[in-house]
Amino acid sequence: MAITAETKKMTTLQVKRFKPSENPTNTYLTDEKGVWAWMTTVDHKKIGIMYLVSVAFFFALAGFLAIALRTELWTPAKTFIEADTYNQLFTLHGAMMVFFVLIPSIPAALGNFILPMQLGAKDVAFPRLNLASFYIYVIGAIFTFAALASGGFDTGWTFYTPYSSDTNAAGVIWVTLGVFILGFSSILTGTNFIATIHKLRAPGLEWGKLPLNIWALYATSIIQVLATPVLAITILLLAFENIMDIGIFDPAKGGDPVLFQHFFWFYSHPAVYIMIVPGFGIISEVITTFSKKTIFGYWAIALSSLAIAFIGFLVWGHHMFTSGQSAVATTVFSFLTFLVGIPTGIKILNWVATLYKGSIQMKTPMLYVFIFLFLFSIGGFTGITLGALSVDIHLHDTYYVVAHFHYVMMGGTLMALLAGLHYWWPKMTGKMYNETLGKISAVLIFIGFNMTFLPQFVMGAQGMPRRYYNYIDQFTPFHQTSTIGSYILGVAFLIILYYLLKSLFGGEKAPSNPWNSRGLEWQSTSPPDFHNFDHTPVVINGPYDYHKPMEEFQLGLAVSHNGHDAHADVETKEEKA
Amino acid sequence: MANHSASQPAHVHHHFVDSEQQFDTAKLGMWVFLVNEILFFGGLFCAYIIFRAWYPELYTQAALQLDKTMGGINTIVLIFSSMTVAFAIRCAQLNNIKWLRWNLMFTILLACVFLVIKYFEYEHKLHLGIAPGSYWNPTPEILEVLDHPKANIFFSIYYIMTGIHGLHVVVGIGLMIWLYIRAGKGHFSSEYYTPVEITGLYWHLVDLIWIFLFPLLYLIE
Amino acid sequence: MNAQEHQGHHIASAQMLWTVGIGLFILTILTVTISSLGLPSPLDILAALTIAACKAYLVAAYFMGLKWDNKFNTILILGALAFFILMVSITLLDTMYRIEVVPSF
Repeated sequence: MAITAETKKMTTLQVKRFKPSENPTNTYLTDEKGVWAWMTTVDHKKIGIMYLVSVAFFFALAGFLAIALRTELWTPAKTFIEADTYNQLFTLHGAMMVFFVLIPSIPAALGNFILPMQLGAKDVAFPRLNLASFYIYVIGAIFTFAALASGGFDTGWTFYTPYSSDTNAAGVIWVTLGVFILGFSSILTGTNFIATIHKLRAPGLEWGKLPLNIWALYATSIIQVLATPVLAITILLLAFENIMDIGIFDPAKGGDPVLFQHFFWFYSHPAVYIMIVPGFGIISEVITTFSKKTIFGYWAIALSSLAIAFIGFLVWGHHMFTSGQSAVATTVFSFLTFLVGIPTGIKILNWVATLYKGSIQMKTPMLYVFIFLFLFSIGGFTGITLGALSVDIHLHDTYYVVAHFHYVMMGGTLMALLAGLHYWWPKMTGKMYNETLGKISAVLIFIGFNMTFLPQFVMGAQGMPRRYYNYIDQFTPFHQTSTIGSYILGVAFLIILYYLLKSLFGGEKAPSNPWNSRGLEWQSTSPPDFHNFDHTPVVINGPYDYHKPMEEFQLGLAVSHNGHDAHADVETKEEKA
Repeated sequence: MANHSASQPAHVHHHFVDSEQQFDTAKLGMWVFLVNEILFFGGLFCAYIIFRAWYPELYTQAALQLDKTMGGINTIVLIFSSMTVAFAIRCAQLNNIKWLRWNLMFTILLACVFLVIKYFEYEHKLHLGIAPGSYWNPTPEILEVLDHPKANIFFSIYYIMTGIHGLHVVVGIGLMIWLYIRAGKGHFSSEYYTPVEITGLYWHLVDLIWIFLFPLLYLIE
Repeated sequence: MNAQEHQGHHIASAQMLWTVGIGLFILTILTVTISSLGLPSPLDILAALTIAACKAYLVAAYFMGLKWDNKFNTILILGALAFFILMVSITLLDTMYRIEVVPSF
């Protein structure tokens, strides 16, 4: 923002209160109707919903694959799937979950909907780019299906060379191209968010008043923009290696297969922070709303997101401790990995401190927050365990790793996604879901999840390797417990699908602010207006100032004014509406 | 009442308050995209550095096969194309649409010259059997001066780096032709020339990448 | 409306553009000349990269307008370079310190 003088512009803005209507006639759902309108929309809210539906679809698909895998593992030898098919199934499960569900889920689905509203903006900075990024996601998905149609791929989602570069599977080429294309979707979303957060904030919304969800999405977008291009070049080099045999990863030609791992993990480790950091943002939002309290340690949480983004780029070699990389690199990576746990730990402690002396309401979103705190802490601690170099030599490529990343990705990101989905569902759809069913399925998920993955820690420590189709008999009770747990999880997700869909067709109408949150996105109608707000919001308080009255969060410009200078010191003259 | 920028000119989109905000945001968005491009090429430069550290004598030997003169001319060509695109922006800012178009045309022509020179470079090498990957099949004369067993690695890196750079040049040409046409239809003025500005930034990046590619590939002695 | 009144839209002067252009041209000649001197390694790489960095600075600061632009855009580019350097240096910690000099398994 170009300002001519060095001093901040002092402006006094006339504001008045704009209480959102409880009976909106025109919403973003009614203003643009029909399939074509949805397919060509540039409205961030609709794009967010389209992402949500796609993510849910892929989650169901990959989840179904998981159930198939777990069923196969009921007995040590073949149960009903061939070994080669098994390899393809876990590869597909991993690739789909990572690239089509977890990476886009919170930023693209929930973030797209909520971010502009939390900033008081009418849309993201580049709405047409936003639509493009959705279609790029779809095209990437089509390429992946093409890969399946042309014989599939069984390299594991990590595509390690030399197998991935030597194998003749046309499927590998298709899926690598699909991932290449998908990467651009991620990059464009990140670009959009960075520009929006910098440029489209409502008057009065300074950096210190931003909701922590915004800080989290900001950190995520930075990671997306810096890391994803390296994935793109890695995938391209893999494709060239596969098609043309250029030799960069082939030792016979003077290349190095470990180099592929360096390039791959340079993206894929920060990628896991792309998955979890937006989840952290959601936790901050939900935990404050349902404790009716301001967050403990605002700046600690905000800056720790940036710290995680930065340190996350320095630790990728902890996936390669047994790959043959030098002892120097290995030691450095192990040390740096311990560091990355610190900002995350700060967040967890701050969230727990937020609960203290709060007025806690155990609604479904809050239930998921507690589940998150428990499961993600286990996931995080076991990550540190794996980061300990000497221990990892024993645990690498065992079920311990599998359990760890499911605890952080599913117990972390997915729980946060469910929390956010249940939190913002009334806002997005204008409907309330069945609270009792919500609570029941949350409990089922908790039970099912632990039953599925806790035994895997023990198995892994006892030596059960990952990606193995067969196993020795001593692991049978663990595998069988795990399989039963996965069925419970499956049932729980079906229940969630059921009551969410049911709420759309005849659920109770949602008020504009069912949770009495102070968030700016709640000071609009449910569902919101096509332009989000029918006024320009003005922000005078911090995002979690629950000790201030609700009226102070519903202010908007009373007179038509340029008002785009968020640096303006805002003095408000309230005229009670 | 909705705060639409109803009094704003047509090119200002509804979610922006004014032209200034839209312009600054577009520039910020393009700079973020350039960060992205830097990391993309960065991966290739990283591979280059690693292999050079492993096989320094290969690089010295293999680089002799690259034509310094052609590379040098291409560098000058790109530098001047950067200059003409900067002039194009200046003309847009001064509302001189006629010279905006001329400068865009100069840039396009210079970019085409770059591609033509590149084509001759590639053709010459492929003729000698210096090809990437499994097509590596150098003539005996070449093998006499280039006897390093891993020579194909250098040239694979060369082809991929210059090839992807060349692709970016082609995209740039396409963008500038589109700008040329739009300028002809009167879409741009000193009030609104944002697409020219951000395409210019992209083009400068293409030049920047080459500024590093040239010495690292061609000037190894 | 006078273009000069646009807040924040710095208009480059023709003289400045030509000067920078000629400067870049000269630096190119310089780098080609130096390379043919056959300096010992690592001096030759250092010289080439220094000149390239100067050229890059001229393009970024003057042609791309960073000198007169929002400071944040400069931070973005420096940040990108910083991460690139991190990527290379940490990878080299592995590739340069292997016990086996070059993988030839």
